[in-house]
Amino acid sequence: MIKLENVTKTYPQQVQHALVHASVDINKGEFVFLVGPSGSGKSTFLRLLNKQEEPDEGQIYVAGKDIGQMSSWKVPMLRRNIGAIFQDFKLLPTKTVAENVAFALEVIGRPRSVIRAQVPAICDLVGLADKMSKYPDQLSGGEQQRVSIARAFVNRPLILLADEPTGNLDPQTSIGIMRLLDRINKTGTTVVMASHDRGIVDTMRRRVIELADGQIIRDEARGVYE
Amino acid sequence: MAIRIDYLAKETGNNLVRNPTLTAATVLTVSVSLALLGTALLISEGVSNLETHFKGDVEFIVWMDPSATDENVEVVRNFLDDSEAVRSQEWIDKEATFEQFQEFFADRPEILDLVDPDQLPPSFAVVPEFPDLALIRAIGADIEAFPGVSGVDYEEEFIKQLNTLSSRLSRIMIIAALLSAVASALLMYNTIRTGLFARRREIEVMRLVGATKWFIRIPFMLEGLLQGVIGAIFAAIAVFGLNKAIASSLAEMRDFQLFQNFALPNGEVLEVVVIIGVAGAVLGFVMAGVAVTKYLDA
Repeated sequence: MIKLENVTKTYPQQVQHALVHASVDINKGEFVFLVGPSGSGKSTFLRLLNKQEEPDEGQIYVAGKDIGQMSSWKVPMLRRNIGAIFQDFKLLPTKTVAENVAFALEVIGRPRSVIRAQVPAICDLVGLADKMSKYPDQLSGGEQQRVSIARAFVNRPLILLADEPTGNLDPQTSIGIMRLLDRINKTGTTVVMASHDRGIVDTMRRRVIELADGQIIRDEARGVYE
Repeated sequence: MAIRIDYLAKETGNNLVRNPTLTAATVLTVSVSLALLGTALLISEGVSNLETHFKGDVEFIVWMDPSATDENVEVVRNFLDDSEAVRSQEWIDKEATFEQFQEFFADRPEILDLVDPDQLPPSFAVVPEFPDLALIRAIGADIEAFPGVSGVDYEEEFIKQLNTLSSRLSRIMIIAALLSAVASALLMYNTIRTGLFARRREIEVMRLVGATKWFIRIPFMLEGLLQGVIGAIFAAIAVFGLNKAIASSLAEMRDFQLFQNFALPNGEVLEVVVIIGVAGAVLGFVMAGVAVTKYLDA
């Protein structure tokens, strides 16, 4: 599903590489943790996958396609197959829960009938059926992250990228979010999650890829944070 | 990919009212610059209308009665040919006069229907040897006394001055129009840029979930287009009003009996309005395009 071959990325005006000769193979339906300290290249890894960044060297394949060769007008189609969630949720404060979720379908031109059917279903899935008309600032952090998961997943992507999704949440709330991501993973969606959260990584016992200074120093199935 | 019309209308409308003071400033600047452009065009068209008759070096026109006999005409022609003060003369017969009429009233066929070519006055267009107003006046007075002559129209000094003045004025106005067009272009650019900034979170999400480049762009480009068109509408109203004022003051000018109705006919004003509208729309669309290209594709 995802394949990196010898990928190197350096940001302009930075001496140190964000990612150095990274090669990874992730299969369909896998749940992968990216661990490592801040600045180790976790976010860069994720941003390369949906072409928010371009690698300096190496090839990246997503769903069998070399995305480095992809023409720019096809990038939106790639992103429709890749959901993304973040530490800061990136919800639109002027829209309700339902509107935030519907927005993701609206802007890719889905017909209104589809939106009307999909939005309540996905809100129900993430456990927010009774909060659809609330605004983000009326919700707790965990609920806001559920909205952002609903938005990322409403289009049924093949891949879900999660960049520190529990970074702003307390441990109890984080467990709820992880249960939800686990459930999404069980539907066949490949999940790649960058995390600092030792407790979560150790509890889940999934594949762990550890990064340090842009290099992959460990890649083990059913690993722990260490 | 299909973009829903209701989505476009909603987004473009939201963008326009999101920052009402900036939008108002932009629209007003656009309308001022387009009104200046329109006025300059009106003046130059009006002047070219005047000059259609007094073209070249023609200094005065001898109008004959439609019923004047060939003999009457011959007498005037001989007088003009013999006069030392006349360099040349051109005989404009009824058919030629009718052709001029057709040209002037091209967009008012109802008037053409009323005109019988046979009732139009033929005329001599005369170029004098010396640009001496008193001398021209004296010759004119002599000719007016001939039988069959209905009158003499002079391109007097003030008409010439009016011509020079108005062409200078329209040149100045075109410069002013260009300068304020630059100002409105910059304002439009900034309005769109501000809109992009205000919506940066939405744009970020749109990109993340896979909205196409044009889906994100088009509402902003339409916003620019609409600002230009709304500005053009205000400018068009101003230009129509100005034309009415010019027409009514022309009507009071005794010397331009023939011109008062068609110095600035509605058809020509409409042409000016179309130019204004296209200029406004293009200006808005292009500046919005520049702004989105700079801030979205970077």
